[in-house]
Amino acid sequence: MSGRMTHRIILVREWDSQTAASGCCGRLGGENTELGDPNTYRHNREEMEKMGAVYRALREDLFDEEVEITVVDPRNVVWLIPSVLRDARKRGLTIRDIFRQINRGVSYNAVILDGKVLFSGHVPTPDDAVSAVRSELEAMEPVGA
Amino acid sequence: MPAVFVVIVVLAAYFLAYRFYSRYLAQKVYMLDKSFETPAHEFEDGVDYVPTNKHVLFGHHFTSVAGAAPIVGPAIAVFWGWLPALLWVTLGTIFAAGVHDMGSLVVSVRNKGQNIGTLTSNVINPRARTLFLIIIFFLLTLVNAVFAVVMAILFEANPGAVIPATLIIPIAIIIGQFAYRGRGPILIPAIIAVAVLYASIPIGQAFPIQVDGLANALGTDTRVVWIVIIFAYTWFASRLPVWLLLQPRDYINSFQLFIALAVIFLGIAVGFDRIVAPAVNTDIPAGSPSVFPFLFITIACGAISGFHSLVASGTSSKQLENEEDARYVGYMGAVGEGSLALGSLLACTAGIGAFAAWSESYADFGTASDGAVGNFTQGVGSFASNLGIPEAMGVIFAAVVVITFAGTTMDTGIRLQRYIIQEIGEIVNVRPLTRNITLTTTVGVLIPMGLALYPGGGGEPGSFAFGSLWRLFGTTNQLTAGLALTVVAVWVFTRNRNPLAQIVPLTFLLAMTTYALFLQLGQFFNEGEWLLLVVDAIIFILAVWLIIEAIAAFNRARGVRGRAGRGASPE
Repeated sequence: MSGRMTHRIILVREWDSQTAASGCCGRLGGENTELGDPNTYRHNREEMEKMGAVYRALREDLFDEEVEITVVDPRNVVWLIPSVLRDARKRGLTIRDIFRQINRGVSYNAVILDGKVLFSGHVPTPDDAVSAVRSELEAMEPVGA
Repeated sequence: MPAVFVVIVVLAAYFLAYRFYSRYLAQKVYMLDKSFETPAHEFEDGVDYVPTNKHVLFGHHFTSVAGAAPIVGPAIAVFWGWLPALLWVTLGTIFAAGVHDMGSLVVSVRNKGQNIGTLTSNVINPRARTLFLIIIFFLLTLVNAVFAVVMAILFEANPGAVIPATLIIPIAIIIGQFAYRGRGPILIPAIIAVAVLYASIPIGQAFPIQVDGLANALGTDTRVVWIVIIFAYTWFASRLPVWLLLQPRDYINSFQLFIALAVIFLGIAVGFDRIVAPAVNTDIPAGSPSVFPFLFITIACGAISGFHSLVASGTSSKQLENEEDARYVGYMGAVGEGSLALGSLLACTAGIGAFAAWSESYADFGTASDGAVGNFTQGVGSFASNLGIPEAMGVIFAAVVVITFAGTTMDTGIRLQRYIIQEIGEIVNVRPLTRNITLTTTVGVLIPMGLALYPGGGGEPGSFAFGSLWRLFGTTNQLTAGLALTVVAVWVFTRNRNPLAQIVPLTFLLAMTTYALFLQLGQFFNEGEWLLLVVDAIIFILAVWLIIEAIAAFNRARGVRGRAGRGASPE
């Protein structure tokens, strides 16, 4: 395992009641705000809970690794796209592959490790996520390390 | 003076303010501690409490606070000349908004991520929380009213914007189906959606849609018809599940926000447009609102906005990885909104063309208020032309941006109103109001629609009360900011630190707001504007209540401060 190397996992999922460009009414619904019907964003809560389980499983399994886990809303494209691009380039992917990762990464749900999208469009089970991340990290390990 | 010089000076001021003033706040006032365990770490669950990179968090925070309000306020306020508006936007951002936004975030972080309503109850008293909810109720009512008028003005002035602004609805629904049902990647569909939206602008220009005929047939004003259509749309839109329209449209809005900022500032940089408006307008007609105190409520968002405290507390505070990041997320969030206000100000003073055009557009306060968003879109059109985009297309582009932002605000606002009405129904024990969503939505729509139409139902052009409504909206927003600043100031004071950074903007804000409300009472009475008089009177009472609560909170805090030793631990 490449312990000296810092890896980045990006978990993409919508944040409940995040509303872009709503100005005065941004983030006024959902569970954590005093106003608004919490049920409005029930579907987001379900996804958040599922991705939360993935987050906790990864944190627990990769406890002793230098892995940064970031949870980001897919609407935060000004951060998400450059980050996937940077990680993918660092990894040496081709331009075509980089584009594919960005396209799949900006999704309702995605799990991205160092610029490579492992899951897109759905939240994996915690076990599947941990297993996929482990395999990918091992595959990335430099020969002879 | 070339507008680009103003941009450079203001951005330099923001840079220096961030570099030095926010550092002073971080080190001496809020005493940010890198080793403090933030709620994101203390309760880390990957759901609500998630330690988040400060750049990610800034993206979430800024897109939530930005919107149409920092565009409209400065577009009206340049009526008094560009310099007073510019000074208030710049100094307000640096000394009021930055302090307020960063402070709200810090106090929430230090209180386990509680939202500002709960903090108001805990730091001031439970009664102040009731005050907070009442202010929010009026704020939402006025938000929905003013944004309906803003949209109606834009539809009336830009019939070419109707098709693109309407087209965004089916486009968003298709994206929503693709993303939420199909679970497909969303980037390409969102980019295609934005491209289709802008490609539809020439179609909109070729087939402008006007409702003048309908208005004539009904014997009313065009704007009245648009306002009714907009509220009818909002009634239906707010009944839809958010994943069907509201959230998918967000993907388009998030692109539009940054595209609009890029067009404005690149256009200014490339075009070297000169500011044609006077620095200080000395040709103000008798009877116009005076710069003191009305400037400070006309520009709320963009100089200081109470709603930022709602965004900062509650959610952003649960994601702050490191307490020191509060400086970047909170203070820079305020700077971001101030930059949007700056862009609006310059669009209306430099992008508007020659001095004669400006004088005509800002001949009196009524004309300035009614034409403000039109002046903004005109200015953005001019900046867009500097980038090779046809000016007429640029105007429609800007109109579509403001309309979609305002539409999102109204969609959210009506949902919130409905929920508050349901809560009121429970308090007063009126069962239909607690259970019947059709009824609560109708009530939630009718109240702001009444305000939006008042008193201009078919009257003379310019007889609409938009300028007055906007000022009332500004007062409620400033009162929300005042309440949040009181919470932050008391929190700082009880920790034996110097609360001057909060008390100065708080005192200024409350003084200007109360003074403005008082002056408006007389104005509305003399003009026989009874509905506005009642609304103003209620907000005035809320302002006085807030001042009393603030003074009482400081008196209690003095006792707490006496007991605590200087240099005591923050918590």
